[in-house]
This record gives sequence, structure tokens and C-alpha cells, in this order.
Amino acid sequence: MNSVIQPNAWVALKLPSGTTKVIQINPNTTISLGKYGSFPANLVIGRPFHLTFELLDKEPNENFSRLRVVPTDELYADVFAEEAAEGCLTPAAGDAVISATEGEEFSLVDENGNVVARSDCEIIDDNARQTLTQDEIEELKREGNNAGKAIIAKLLLSHTAIDQKTSFSLAKYKLLKTKKYLRRFQVLPIDVATFAQWQLEERDASKIMDMRAEMIGLVGCWGNVHYSGEEYQLLDPKVTTAEGERACVPLEKDQLKGRWLVVDDTCGLLVAAMAERMGVLYPKEEESEDEDDAEIKEEVKQEPKADSAVASEAIEQHGDVDMCEATESAEAATTESVAPKQTPKPVRKHKGGPRPSDFAIPYSQTNTITVLHSQSQPNLSLLNYWNFDITSPNHPPHPLLNHLLNLTWLQLLKPELDTSYSTPPPTATPETLASWKPSRRGNFHRKRRRYARIRHIVDNTRAGNFSGLVCASTMDPISILRHTLPLLAGGAPIALYSPSIEPLAALADCFSVPRRTAWTSGNVPEIEGFSQDELEYWQGNERFPLNPTLLQGVSIQTSRARRWQVLPGRTHPLMTERGGADGYVFTAWRAKPAEGRVEARGKFKRSAPKKAGNAETPAPVLDMELDFGPKRKRSMSPPPVNTKLPMSVKVEEPASPAKKRKAEDDIPEA
Amino acid sequence: MEIETPTPVPSEAMAPTITGQTAKISPFLDPGSVTKANSLAILQLSRDNLVPVYLQPPKGKHDGYAEGAVVNTRYGSFPHATMINVPWGSQIRASKVDTGSRGRNNKRKRDAADEASKETETETQEVVTEKEQTPINGNGEVEIKKAVTDSSGFIHVLPPTPEVWTSSLPHRTQVVYTPDYSYVLHRIRARPGSVLIEAGAGSGSFSHASARAVYNGYPVDDSEKKGKVYSFEFHEQRYHKMKQELKDHHLDEIVHLTHRDVYNGGFLVDGKSPEAEAIFLDLPAPWEALPHISRRNPKDPSDKTWVSPLNPKKSAHLCTFSPCIEQVTKTVSAMRRLGWVDIDMVEIANRKYHASRERVGLNLSFDRGVNNSARDVDEAIARLTEIETRFREHAAKSRDSDDEMDSDTEKGPKKGGKKNNKKGAPQNGNGVSDSNEEGAAVSGYGTAPWMEGRLITRGEPEIKTHTSYLVFAILPREWTEEDEAAAAAKYPVIGEQKVIGVVDKAARKKERREQLQKATLGNRKARRKERDAQLGVEGI
Repeated sequence: MNSVIQPNAWVALKLPSGTTKVIQINPNTTISLGKYGSFPANLVIGRPFHLTFELLDKEPNENFSRLRVVPTDELYADVFAEEAAEGCLTPAAGDAVISATEGEEFSLVDENGNVVARSDCEIIDDNARQTLTQDEIEELKREGNNAGKAIIAKLLLSHTAIDQKTSFSLAKYKLLKTKKYLRRFQVLPIDVATFAQWQLEERDASKIMDMRAEMIGLVGCWGNVHYSGEEYQLLDPKVTTAEGERACVPLEKDQLKGRWLVVDDTCGLLVAAMAERMGVLYPKEEESEDEDDAEIKEEVKQEPKADSAVASEAIEQHGDVDMCEATESAEAATTESVAPKQTPKPVRKHKGGPRPSDFAIPYSQTNTITVLHSQSQPNLSLLNYWNFDITSPNHPPHPLLNHLLNLTWLQLLKPELDTSYSTPPPTATPETLASWKPSRRGNFHRKRRRYARIRHIVDNTRAGNFSGLVCASTMDPISILRHTLPLLAGGAPIALYSPSIEPLAALADCFSVPRRTAWTSGNVPEIEGFSQDELEYWQGNERFPLNPTLLQGVSIQTSRARRWQVLPGRTHPLMTERGGADGYVFTAWRAKPAEGRVEARGKFKRSAPKKAGNAETPAPVLDMELDFGPKRKRSMSPPPVNTKLPMSVKVEEPASPAKKRKAEDDIPEA
Repeated sequence: MEIETPTPVPSEAMAPTITGQTAKISPFLDPGSVTKANSLAILQLSRDNLVPVYLQPPKGKHDGYAEGAVVNTRYGSFPHATMINVPWGSQIRASKVDTGSRGRNNKRKRDAADEASKETETETQEVVTEKEQTPINGNGEVEIKKAVTDSSGFIHVLPPTPEVWTSSLPHRTQVVYTPDYSYVLHRIRARPGSVLIEAGAGSGSFSHASARAVYNGYPVDDSEKKGKVYSFEFHEQRYHKMKQELKDHHLDEIVHLTHRDVYNGGFLVDGKSPEAEAIFLDLPAPWEALPHISRRNPKDPSDKTWVSPLNPKKSAHLCTFSPCIEQVTKTVSAMRRLGWVDIDMVEIANRKYHASRERVGLNLSFDRGVNNSARDVDEAIARLTEIETRFREHAAKSRDSDDEMDSDTEKGPKKGGKKNNKKGAPQNGNGVSDSNEEGAAVSGYGTAPWMEGRLITRGEPEIKTHTSYLVFAILPREWTEEDEAAAAAKYPVIGEQKVIGVVDKAARKKERREQLQKATLGNRKARRKERDAQLGVEGI
């Protein structure tokens, strides 16, 4: 993330009313904030984020508003005054001072310094007592009013019953008017947290499946999504155009590390959140001693990429140039600090040596996100806010380009039915190629490159061994897991988000203890004769929709952040908050079940002490004698011993279901 | 409780490195595909019962066990040898281990060792271990007893992640649990490459999670700036414990731990600024530490010698973690005075749910968890009718057993009762309800008991209703007159052409008109031509 506001970057403008506007800051334009006024974009470009700006009144000789950075002392002047008042307040003095006249800040004391507000208990109707008419207010707004402060002060002073208001209602009244008239705003960078908040609360929450910040955090952590190693590229096979599919680069399975499998129906928010955690969402910042120099470079680089309209223009114009080149130009751009010129077209150049051959794989083998989608194209439209457009064939440099792989469920499960996977690439000798028209030649290369790319992604994904599965999908989670579980490495975490709990409960039920116990008991006719490896690909039936031994530690949770207002003497949780879907996260780890029948009859200690037996603790650590290695110093707690523990339940026997259920609590999670 | 003598991970015995770049990558960041000796693994006994173990290579008799180091659980004994070099997530069967004789033979000796280990640090324990192992290690190739599978149970070996580590944590202080830290890290923008300050390392759960969040490779040398966590701990014992832990987890290059009272000492490391962008304070009095996290000396803004621990070019994101509301009030008040903006206080409520089957019905077995009452009104009425009928029958019989009266009226319900099998069902205990019986006969399997009843979710028996209040705030970077002048010179205000953001209707219409005009101007043929021309250059 950059330290200052970049030209053409997407930013969020936070307004006094509490609303956020997400806009792209183009240089040399005017940014309009609606009723709060407008200002030239160049006044915020190059300035830091999170500062509070105030729109000043127009200078007589200028036709635009200049901005002023509001110092924080001024932002909190009210609170400070209140705190001060609280400090010196004596029980004898019944009047609560709200604010004192000082500097710029408007006050609730009149010109003579008399207190206008009193702590009374009379309740008054706000509008009835306001003597300023709407026309007068409009007039005040026109004639310049010190960023709205004058209006607010006038409104308060012309309120006939201001002296009857309690300090609480006065504070509320002032806040109301501040939200309406104060001409201040703040510029925030568009990162996943800010963006998700905006999309959830002010845009369309259903588009991101009501995914709240808590859920994004939980899914990321439980999915163990993190940066996982330097980029590793497969070598360019340097094939000639005469060679077909046999010349494709073989997979190097040992190099496949740190890959996450994703099913994303949140239009790309989930992918963005993961990319942020993996360090591939934002372009690398240039480190340079000379700040100005760095910024200029940055600016030059930003120019082509920032405009999504430009990107779509690029599709029209160069529809048949594709991604390999984009990545290549990405490399070129990073090696060369001075881009030649700033045409709106993406820069296309092959200066860093010869062009890679058609079968060169642009993707990194590590630190990647593989998106499975149910339509022929993935819907990752929200990534546009981070200047990434997956549909753009000639994409300007972006770290997601070679870290984001996508394939359809069909390509994963039945690649032979997918035309682009199963149609062998065209071949041609250099002579024939030279005789072709340029457009035909372009098509030829495009087809070959696409073939190599899809071939690589499909083979790569089918090779499995993923480091984790993260999912926020409207599809049935059971069907998703049926096909993705075999692809996960042992111990890999899975984290599934769902706005409602029911699909996750149904999924958890597939891994219930009785189901698992039955599966491992050796009495299930339908799985007899299958090896453990074959059972990983168990296709499910009514009794066992999934192989219940493939997951461990199944758990469903939800989190909710409750926001508070913290003000002197008025600290309490907010009265209302967004409702709607709660959001739940299903977490578990991929297990590698042992071959053959597994018995768990428990460890029975004959010399169990006779005392106790009173406590009905659900899982007392009874006769555990733990060699926990060096790190274990905790004394094994609950000492109460439960003699009732039915330790000797033999699961391997064809026990009656009744018996099995009894054993539920006592056998380890199978 | 017996404590295993720890064997500090010997550096020479480390597994071969994967990337040659660094000595070894932490198992938290890249566990590899199989478990390795001398590395951390988490044993999962049951869902919420997780035990961290440093797997020890089989080096012969260990602590009286012929199998080498052994983990004993209520599900049986698990020699380390059975858990090394297996894929992560593997299910491990228990082994037959002789725990009895060892206990008798070594009791005295172990007691002594225990006493020692309780008081002293690892050095002493190491000696004890050496003493026991040396004679066996002496002859090089050591035979350890081959483990024999036992039927007492099994466990799973999981790769360490901050989440499992947090759940299995040896408690030293209050732990920052996953629901809290996941949200905090998201909000304070801890990302690969960030520099994060953490004060109050405590049990280390947040340290591990934040190390994962900021990790973007191990720094090759000191000059290279990589994501890093600067952690501060005041409590000396916890500091040492934590230091050792970080070393064992190979996180010491990512987490820099300092033993310091940050209220007085501040956050500089070796007098230099860590240049942090994110701060997490888990301290009893955050307001005492806050003045150190400023852009300038809060007491004397013109003080040039004062060094800020913050990155001068970035906004700093802060979170404090305090359990009491009074702490929050004071902290927020201090934040306002120190120029923090966007102050936001939240508390996180996390709930876990269990999915289970709720089995209610008169015909179900008398298992635990089965509610043998009527499933619905119809079932209740059928049962009541039956009882009534029987009662009447019985009364009639006892009153006049010889008298055959009203036989017609009685026979009806009797038959019905038998047909419905309402009476017999509870006793047969096969847990199969009537309606399912026919279906079962068809499928040939019988209704699976795990599919009976209604699927429900239920909260965990005990919930954490309050962990702590989280106060978030942002400190923008310093912006001086000179900076402003430079920016103004670079981006001068000259003829603005377009309006973005909220625009009125007239402006929108005008824009649309222009757009349309532009679209019609561009001749499709001309565009294609242009594209072809470009491809000509491109296509070769």
C-alpha cells in the first residue's frame, strides 16, 4: 500500500454523515461530495491517507474550494471541553458547560460567555423551536460559512429552547446538525477491510454473501492463508510452433507449495482477502532513497493500469493478445523503471530478451490461489477495485496475474469433456506461419498459449496436495467437499463460510461421530473391498454422503463484533447495528485415515481410585499420563475421577446401534 | 503429572533445508508434507483436546521406555517413532507400551528429575536426559523396540498453525483467542511485509498469528526489510519461556522479542525505530504506553532527538485489548489527545455450534440422548388411546371376567394397537421406527441410526461472553507545510475538466452525450484495421 494518495487510485471518501463514497481519483478532475461541496482532485492527490480535510470557502479570485487539514485537537474539541467540564464540575453548580469559546471552534456559550445549555429534564421538540427557516439556511450556505460551522452555530443559537435542553440532548442535536452541515471528509485507501465494510453496509451486501469483517478474519485464519514462499516459475520449454501437446511443460510436483483452493461466490471479495493475506493483492512498492523519484516512477507505472475503462478498451483493441504477454510486460516494467510514454494503451514490449514460447507457463508454482467456478468464466468483478480484471487479455502488470489460477468444475472433474482442454493445440511450420495473415497468426499463437495454460492449470489442480480449502459459495458444501477433499494435503485446513448455518450443519452431520464409528467399524457393505486411497474419492451415497474419516476437528462457529460509543459519561453499545445474515464458518482439518480397521476401545485403568465418581464431567482427563515433551508444563487438570466412564465399549464388534451411540463421547474422533 | 524432560532441538539434527535461503522455515509457515523429527507437531486426541509435542527421533531407550519417547494418553500410548515421517493429518494407532514396570523401576529417579525440572531451566533437564541416554547412544546404531499396535485408540497428528497452537497453549496469561486475533489482524492491516509491534507477548498466541500474517520470507541479512513482529514482554519468566518457544518454532527471525517495561522504556529496539505500521497493545494500562507511539515527542514536539517507533511514511493502525470499560475510557481519552483518529471500540462475541441429531419418539431405543416422549400430537394420541383402551379392558376384566360384554367395541382398538405396534416398540430397542422399517427392507441395509431424528445445532455448553474490549485507532502520517507545498507543486490545480463523485443530473447527461458521440465516431472498420496493424508487429 502506498503512503500517499496516488493518481487514478481507488479510494474511499468518508463523509460527516457517516457514509462512504468509493471513487477513482483521476487527476485534473473535480470531486463532488454532493451537498458538502466539491473540490479539485489535485488537492488530495499526493497527500496522505486518513487526514481529515475541510472544504474552505471559495477565495474571491478562485472558482474552487481549497482544503485545510483539520488538526485532531479541533476534531475532539467538544469531547475535551466535556472532559474538562466533568473534571471541574461541583455538585453545587447545576449547569453543565458543553463547550468554551476558543479559536475556530464554535461554541455553545453565547458571546458574553454565558452558558446556553443547562442540565434540565424538559423534553422538547426539536423542529418546533428552530427559528431559522430553510431559506435562511440556504442563504447562509451560499455566502460561505467557514466549512459549515457558522451554520451549525447559528442553528444552535437560534434555537429558542436551547437553554432547556439537557446536555445529552444538546450533544445529540449538535451531532445531528454537524452531520448535515459540516464540510469535512477523510480519504481512506481501498483495502479489503475498508472495501468489504462499504460493500456490506452501503452497497449490495448480498453480492458478497453478507460477509462481515469478522468472518473474513476467521476464514483467513482458520484457512491458514498466508504468504508461502518465493515465486517459482517453470522453465520455458522453448518449443517451436511445429510441436504439439507433447511439448508441454511437465508438472514439477515437488515445487507445488503453498497453494490454496477457493470457491468464491462473493464476486471476488474472498479472493481479494486471500490475496491480501498472501501478499499478492497490491503491486510492490518501490523502495528508493529519493522519495520524489520513487513517486514519479510510481506515477508513470500507475498510469496505464489504473483505468478500468482503458482495460476494457484494450480488450476491444487487442482481443487476441493474451496473458503471457501481460506478465511478460509486467517483468519488463519492473526491470525498467522508466516507461517510455504514457499512452492510455497498456504498454506492450518485449525488451527483456526474446519472447517466451507459446508453451511457457506464466504462473508461479507457489503462493497461488486456484479458483474453481461453476460458470465458464469466474465472477471476480470486485477485483477491479484493485485494478485487476481477469477478463482482460492484455493485462498491465499485477501480482495476481501469475498467482491466480482459475478453472471450471468441468475442467477439474471431466477435463476430457472440456473443449479447450481436450482439443490439441494447432501446429504449423515456421514457413506456413510466415505465409499467413497477421490476424491468423495471432489467433494461432493465442490458441496454443491458451491450450498450454489450461492444460497446466488443470493438471496442476488435479495433482492435488493443496495447502488449504477456503470457500464462500452458494453451492451445496457437501458436493464441493466431495470433489475437493481428495485434492487436499494431509493436515490441510478447510474453512467454509456460509451466511446461514443449515448447510454447514448438514455438512457437519456427514462427519458425526456415529457415522464415523460405523464407517470404521468394518460393517459397511458398500465400502468393502476398497482401499484407503480409493475411499478418498468416495462418491457418496445416502448413508455416507462423504467419507466421514477425511476430516478432523469439525467445528462451526460465528463471531459478531459489537460496536460501542465511547464518550465521557456516555459510553454504551450502539443502539442499532446491521442485522441480516449472521454468517458462520465451518472449520476442520484434512485427515489421512489409517489403513484397515481402527479400534478404539479406550484405555482402561484397572486401579481406578474408588473415590469421586460424583462429577459428571463430560471429558475428564482420567488416567492420562502425558509425555508432552519439553513444552508441556501444565498440570493435567480436572482431578475428579469418573468411575462411570464406559471405557470398555468395543467398537469393532458388530455392536447394536444403541451401544455405538453410547460410545460416542468416549472414543476419540474417528 | 509427569513432565517429560525436554530435549532442546539440536541444530545439527535438523531436516535438510528446502529452499537453501535460510536455515529452516518454521513449521508454522511451511510444515512440509510429512512430520519430521525434532519438529513441533500437534496431537489431536479429541476435537478440542490438542497436545503440542516435539517429535524426538528414536535414539534408543528413553525415560524407561523401550520404544523411545512416548506420549501417553487416555487413548493409549504413542511412541514418537510411530509419528515421525508420516503425512500430516495421519491417524496414528496406539501401541502396546509397557508403562507399568517402567513406573515401578524409575519412580524414585523420576521424582528427583521432576523436582529438578520444576525449579530449573532447560539446562538442568538436558543433563538429566543426557545421563539417561548416553550409554545407549554410545554404540551408535541403537535398537529400539518395535512398536506393536494396540487397540486402545488412535490420535491424529496435525501440522502446527497459530490456531491449533492457541487451542493447545500452555496458559501463562490470558490468551488472545482466534476470534479476537483474526479480527484484530484484519483491522490493523497486518499483511505480508508489515512491521508490527506487540506489547504484552503473554502466552504467545498473538505473536504466532501475527508472525504468520506479516511473514513474507526470512530476511537474508539485516539490511533487508521484511515483515517483522517486534514483541515486548515485561514478565521475565514469560519472556524466557517465550524466547525459547520462538527459537524452537524457528520464528525468532520473524518475531523479535524484547524484555522491557514499555510504559517507561518505549518501543525502540537498540535505540532504533522499528518503523511499525501496526500496533497491538495487550497491556493493563495502554494509555501509559501510548505517548511512546507518537510521531513526535508528545511533551516537546520540537525535540529533534526523539525517535518515533512508527514508519514515518505510513498511517499507523493500532489496537488495544483491555477487559475493563474503565481502561477503555482512559485509553480512548489518551488517544484523542495524542491525535489518533477513527477511534472505534468493539467487542467480539464468538459462539461455537455443535450439529447433532435430536431423537424424539416413543418408538426409539432407550439410548442416551434419546428423548422417549411422543414425537408429535398424533403419536401422543395413539399412545393415550392405547392406554385408555387397555385400562378399560383391564377394568372390564377385573369387574366381571366371565362376562363377555361389548366384545365388538373392544376388539377394534385392540387390533389397532397391535397393528401399530405402539406397545412393543419401546422394548425392542432396535431404534428403528415403524415408518422406516419398510424402506429399510427394500434397501437391505436398515435405517442407519446416525440418520434418525432431526438435525439440530446447539451452542457449546459454556460460552465466552466477554473476552476484552478492542479499541482501534489510526494515526495518520505527519504532514508538514513543506510536504504540502511539494505536493501542491507536483499536482497543481489547473483547469479541471470532469466532475467525479456525486454529480447532478445535468452533468451526468452531458457526460453521457459525449460518451455516445465518441462511440459513434469510432468506426468499427477503422478500429479493426488498427488492431490488425498492431498484430502484424505482434504476431511474429
